[in-house]
Amino acid sequence: MNTAQPEVREGRSLNPVWFIPVLALALGAYMVVHTWLTEGPEITIAFDTAEGLEAGKTKIKYRNVEVGLITEVELTDDYQGVLARAKMDIATKPLLREDTRFWVVTARIGLGAVSGLDTLLSGAYIQLEPGNAKKAGADEFVALPRPPLTPEHAPGLRLRLLSQNSPSVTTGDPVLYKGYRVGRVESADFDVEEERMRYQIFIDAPFHELVDSAVRFWNASGVSVIADAEGVKLRTSSLDTVLLGGIAFGRPPDVPEGQPVEAGSEFQLYDTYEETLEDPFRHGAYVVVRFNQSIKGLLPGAPVEYRGIRMGRVERILIRELIAERTDTLERYGSIGSEGQPVPVLLYIEPGRFTLPDTPESVDLMRRIFASGVPSGLRASMETGNLLTGAKYIGFDYYPEEAGKAEMGEWQGYPVIPVIGSGVEQIMVKINAILEQVSSAPIEQTIANTNAAVQQLERALESLDAILRTDATKALPAELEATMAEMRKTMQGLSPDSELYQNLNASMRQLNRTMANLEDLTSTLSDKPNAAVFGSKLPPDPQPEASRQ
Amino acid sequence: MTDATAGTGMDMGLASCHTCTLLVEADRQRCPRCGTTVHLRETDSLQRTLALLITATLLYIPANLFPIMYTDQLGRTEASTILGGVTLLIKLGSAPIAAVIFIASVCVPLGKLIALYYLVWTVGRHSPLEPRQRTAMYRITELIGKWSMVDVFVVAILVALVNLGGLLVIRPGIAALSFAGVVIVTMVAAETFDSRLIWDEAINANEHSSA
Repeated sequence: MNTAQPEVREGRSLNPVWFIPVLALALGAYMVVHTWLTEGPEITIAFDTAEGLEAGKTKIKYRNVEVGLITEVELTDDYQGVLARAKMDIATKPLLREDTRFWVVTARIGLGAVSGLDTLLSGAYIQLEPGNAKKAGADEFVALPRPPLTPEHAPGLRLRLLSQNSPSVTTGDPVLYKGYRVGRVESADFDVEEERMRYQIFIDAPFHELVDSAVRFWNASGVSVIADAEGVKLRTSSLDTVLLGGIAFGRPPDVPEGQPVEAGSEFQLYDTYEETLEDPFRHGAYVVVRFNQSIKGLLPGAPVEYRGIRMGRVERILIRELIAERTDTLERYGSIGSEGQPVPVLLYIEPGRFTLPDTPESVDLMRRIFASGVPSGLRASMETGNLLTGAKYIGFDYYPEEAGKAEMGEWQGYPVIPVIGSGVEQIMVKINAILEQVSSAPIEQTIANTNAAVQQLERALESLDAILRTDATKALPAELEATMAEMRKTMQGLSPDSELYQNLNASMRQLNRTMANLEDLTSTLSDKPNAAVFGSKLPPDPQPEASRQ
Repeated sequence: MTDATAGTGMDMGLASCHTCTLLVEADRQRCPRCGTTVHLRETDSLQRTLALLITATLLYIPANLFPIMYTDQLGRTEASTILGGVTLLIKLGSAPIAAVIFIASVCVPLGKLIALYYLVWTVGRHSPLEPRQRTAMYRITELIGKWSMVDVFVVAILVALVNLGGLLVIRPGIAALSFAGVVIVTMVAAETFDSRLIWDEAINANEHSSA
C-alpha cells in the first residue's frame, strides 16, 4: 500500500474569497462616486402658495422631460411665501440661468382653452423654461404666479398697453387685426399708483410687422353707447368678441406709416374705435381755461374747436388740483376768499389737427400763436353742442372788442387762456347790459319834463277856451252862415240855366271851331310850308272809280 | 465535558471527508472513497467567512438606503425603502405586519451578521459563552437565514403580478438586489464557517489546563 506522505502546505495568508468583498466595496464605491458626480444642482424656487407642490413627488419638467424633483417645501421665514427646494439633474445646469422661469402646471379651464388635463391624474408639475441670460448656474428663482401664455422666445412682439379705464379685457383675450386673431393679452394689472390698467400683449410673428408707431389699440369688446356733442351712437363688435373681450388694433385712416416699434413699447389702449379716430396725433399741448360758470355738460373728451374746426379735446376737469389749491390757501391764510373760484378745465390741443406737422416744434409754434393771439382778443368759451343731450364743447374765437383786456395766465404750471361767456351767456350778458342801461337812464327827469309839458299844454288849452268863450267868437258861426249863403247865390249865377253859362258855352264852341281850322292850317303848312306865301294847290283828292266791266 | 472531548478524531489522527463524511487517516491526501481532498478542518474557513461577512455588510448599506420597490401609479412614481415601508405600515396602524417585516428584513439579517462576526471573532479566543451555547447560536443562524428572503420574495411576486400598463406598475429597486445579496452571502458565510473550530478552542483549553 503506497502511502503517500501528506503534503503539508502552509495556509495561504490570503484566500481568493477576499475578492468578493473587494468587488462589493468597489461596486459600492463606484455607486457613491457616480452619485456624487452626477449630483445635480440644488435650487430653491419661491412660490406664493404650495398648491400642487409635494415634496419628493412634484417633478420639474422641461419639454415634458423630467429634469428635477421637489425635495422640500417650506414656508419662508416671514411666512409670506413658500420656498421649494429642488434637486435638479446635472444635465440641466446650463438651463438654470438667472432669467429661467418656473411655473406650476395644473389643469386650467378658460373660455379660450383647456390645458394641463394630464396633471389631473399625475398631479401638478413645475415647468422650467430656460432663460436667455449669459450666466448659468443660478440657484434661486421666483416662480411665475401663472403660466406665461407665450413662450419666452416665441417669435413676435411683446407690447405694453395703458388704459385709463378698466375695459373688460382679461388675460388670454385675443388681439385682433381686422377681426383676425394675431396675438393675445398676456397680463392685465391695475396700477394703483397711476390709477390705470396695464396690459401686456403679445403679437405672434409674422403679424408683429403690422405694428408700427402709428397704429392704435382699442377695446373691441362689449357694446358701447355714446351720447356726446355729436349725437347718440351705438356700436358693437362680433358676438364672440362681445362675450370674450379682446383688443383690436389698426392704423387710423389718413395717418401715414409710423416707425417700427421695439419690444416692450407702450401704447395707449382706447375704449372705442371712435376714440382712436379722434386722436390720431401724438404731440399736443395742455392749456387751461377757467370758467366762472357752471360746466355742467362738459365731459372729458368733448371737442375743442376754433370757429368750428376741431383742434383738440377736453382732457379733464382739474377739480382735484383746484380743491388742493383752495385747501392750501385755506391753511395758509385761514380763508379761501369770498368769491367763488373759477373751475379750471384742462384742454389738450393738437397742432396736427391744423394740418401742422405732428411734431414738438408745431406744439411750440402753437403756443406762440396762443401767446400772441390772446392780447388780440383770442378767447375760449363754452358752447352747447347738442341741445338734446346738453353736451358742451369749448370754442375758441377772436373777439376784437376784448383785445388788450387780458393776457395769457398761468395756473398750476399750465398756460391759461382767458374765457368769454358762451353764446347763451353772451346773450344774457347783453340783456343784462340793456337792463342796466335802462335802469340807469334818467327816467324821473323825463317824467318830470313830460309833466311840465303837459301842464303847459293844459294852460294853452285853457286860454284857447277863453278865446272861444268871447262874443265875437260866438258870432262867428252866424257870419260864416251869411257868407255861405252869399256864395251859394253867386254859384247859382253860374248854373246851366243862367245866362252867363249859356254865353260861356257858346264862346267855348266857337273857340273849338277856330281850333279845328287852325289844325287844318298847321297840317297844310307841314305838308307844304310855302303855302302860306303861294297858297295851296293841293292835288285833287283821288276819286274812287267804277269798275270797267 | 472532558468525556465529550476525550477522544476526538483529530487526536486519533482521523479526519472526516467533507463530501462523503468517511473517516480517513488524517495524513491521507484524498478520500479513498470519493477522491475529495482531505482536510482536518475546512481550509481558511475563518478567512472565507469573514470575507463574505464583510461583503454582506457592504451590501446591507444600499439594501436599506435605496428604494426596494418603485410604484408607478398613473404617472406618479413612488419609491419605497424597507424602513420606509415599516414606518408607513405603523402609520397605517398595521403594527403586527410592520413587526413581521421589521424582524424579517432588518433584525434577522442584522442579527445574523452580528452573530457570525461574534463567532468568527471568538474562535481561538476566550469567550464568556460556552462552546455549546455558541454552537446553538450557529445552528439558529443557519436555520433562520433562509427565511429572511421574505422581502425579496414579496417584491419579486409583486413585480410579476402587478403590471397594469399605465395604471399601476411595480418595479424592483436596487435595494432588492442588494438585499438578496445580503441574504445569500450570509447564508454562504454561515455555511463556510466550520463549527468544529468552536470546540477546538475548548479542547485546547482543556489540554492546557490538564497539562
